[in-house]
Amino acid sequence: MATAVAPTAPAPSHRKMRRRPLTPLDRVQRTLGYVLIALLAVFCLVPFAWVVFSAVDANAGPNVQWPALSFDNFVQFFTNRGTPLLLVNSLIISVTATVINLALGLAGGYALARFRFAGRRAFMFGILLIRVVPAPATIVALYLIMVNIGLSNTLIGLIIVEAAFQLPVTLWLLAGTIAAVPIELEEAAWMDGNSRLQAIWRIVLPLVGPGLGAAAMLSFMNVWGDFLTPLVLLQSTDLYPLSIGLFRAFSEYNQVDWGLLAASAIVYLVPPAVLYMFVRKHLLRSSLGGAVKG
Amino acid sequence: MTSTLDVPVSAAANTPPLPKRRRQRNGPLIALLLGPSVILITLFIVLPAFYSIYLSLTNTQLTGFAARDPQFVGLDNFTYLLSNADFLGSLGQTATFTLFSAIIGQTVLGMVAAILLSRPWLRGKGLFGAAVLMPMIVPEVVASLAWASVLSNNSEGTLNRLTGLFGADPTDWLQVVPLTSIIIVNIWRGVAFAMIMFQAALEDVPAELIEAARIDGASAVQVFRHVTLPLIRGPVFLYLLLTTISTVGVFGLVYFLTQGGPGGQTRIAAIYIYERALQFSQIGIGSAASIILLVIVLVLGIVYVRLAKVEV
Repeated sequence: MATAVAPTAPAPSHRKMRRRPLTPLDRVQRTLGYVLIALLAVFCLVPFAWVVFSAVDANAGPNVQWPALSFDNFVQFFTNRGTPLLLVNSLIISVTATVINLALGLAGGYALARFRFAGRRAFMFGILLIRVVPAPATIVALYLIMVNIGLSNTLIGLIIVEAAFQLPVTLWLLAGTIAAVPIELEEAAWMDGNSRLQAIWRIVLPLVGPGLGAAAMLSFMNVWGDFLTPLVLLQSTDLYPLSIGLFRAFSEYNQVDWGLLAASAIVYLVPPAVLYMFVRKHLLRSSLGGAVKG
Repeated sequence: MTSTLDVPVSAAANTPPLPKRRRQRNGPLIALLLGPSVILITLFIVLPAFYSIYLSLTNTQLTGFAARDPQFVGLDNFTYLLSNADFLGSLGQTATFTLFSAIIGQTVLGMVAAILLSRPWLRGKGLFGAAVLMPMIVPEVVASLAWASVLSNNSEGTLNRLTGLFGADPTDWLQVVPLTSIIIVNIWRGVAFAMIMFQAALEDVPAELIEAARIDGASAVQVFRHVTLPLIRGPVFLYLLLTTISTVGVFGLVYFLTQGGPGGQTRIAAIYIYERALQFSQIGIGSAASIILLVIVLVLGIVYVRLAKVEV
């Protein structure tokens, strides 16, 4: 695990930043600092040991053990009858919901950034306030609404709901990003004979890439990881995404295939982890930028 | 939401005032652009909130006699809940869970991580930072699964092996200390978010102030207490607000590990609502519990915002 032995020697100081020599107190503080951060890193990583080891272990059990290295669990995951469908469902739900969410968020964000209309501030404040509402507090009423409009236990119903759940953040983020694009660029495009929509397509869209990427990633990760909404809205096994599939597999106490479960968990955690590494830098910048404006 | 009308008021400072004609033609365009978002948000977020209020005043059930003909019962559900030991216990567990995991645990560890990672002498920042981030970026189901093995009642479980080194007998952690267990799991999951928020806040503290205080002879602890902390007060309260809200909404992480058990010891409010409404199909009571939870969160939110003097 990545808990490298903490080097206690002082870092080589740059010539420009020559400081007074380290006092014994400094040394103690630094050593203590390394010990603390190393302990924290161990705390954060150790729980993953079982998932990682068992996924590549031919005789995986419920406890951490040195793996008999094999990739059979992954082969099983992709060739079993039920498990590939979990992955497909997760992908369908997350990708479609993210696309819908981005399309609507981009259009709405543009309106919020470029026009001053009655109720605009109230709306911006409202979508900020929505984040206060905990999901479990509205899930019951949402379930009844979905039953009444005939969209419970359907993928399309879940997709629309997930897209809607992510809209407040996306709108807020994209309104801030679009407002940062100088209006003069668009006006120049209008002068050249572009319509408003053409100008959005040709000028604004290419310039909001990082913000759009951050919104897409946030939305995808949230939908991908959601557990409560599919748990409540879906009843058919063949509609389950990975989150529910993993939960059901784990809850069958008597006959858990631990290796397969761990491999499924790895398959499930890779997409958000990879996405996060990709847009990590953009994320903080655009979320802070989006939060300051309004 | 009737916000899609365009009125000729003097526009906000940074947009150049457009001619009146032009602005009025924008009405339909705004409706076209923002309309779909407004409809979705209204239908699937705002409407359920208001529908919950209505449901909480009825005896709606999913199945059985009352399912066909729900009656208006006034505040009966609320009086029932507020005198119900299970529900009050559930609120208490939610408060304990939030206080110890989010407000104390995540905040302290997140602050320690943020401060250490801001030290110029610390090497391996990328590695340590990535390690702390891992619990946050995996889906909550994977997080729970990982901890199921750590807290396993088996003598070969990770935590039991660790305590075994000190001669302790194997323990069934989720049965013996269930609430403490899920508090630790939630601390583990949330340290990264605290760290990110505090790192951003610490970057804004002018280095000269720290330097000056050090030269005047203040110890590191004194500098933190009297210089750094007052300067990052706003972001800290903002973080406390965000983490409180998201912790009250935690469901999957706990449900996966304990399903509210044993004996309701980890039945935090989110699980109580889910059980009542969707497993015992008492929609009315579940909705009333939702409304109570919602009111508490809103009050907390207002208190924090006032304390932090946050401008939104």
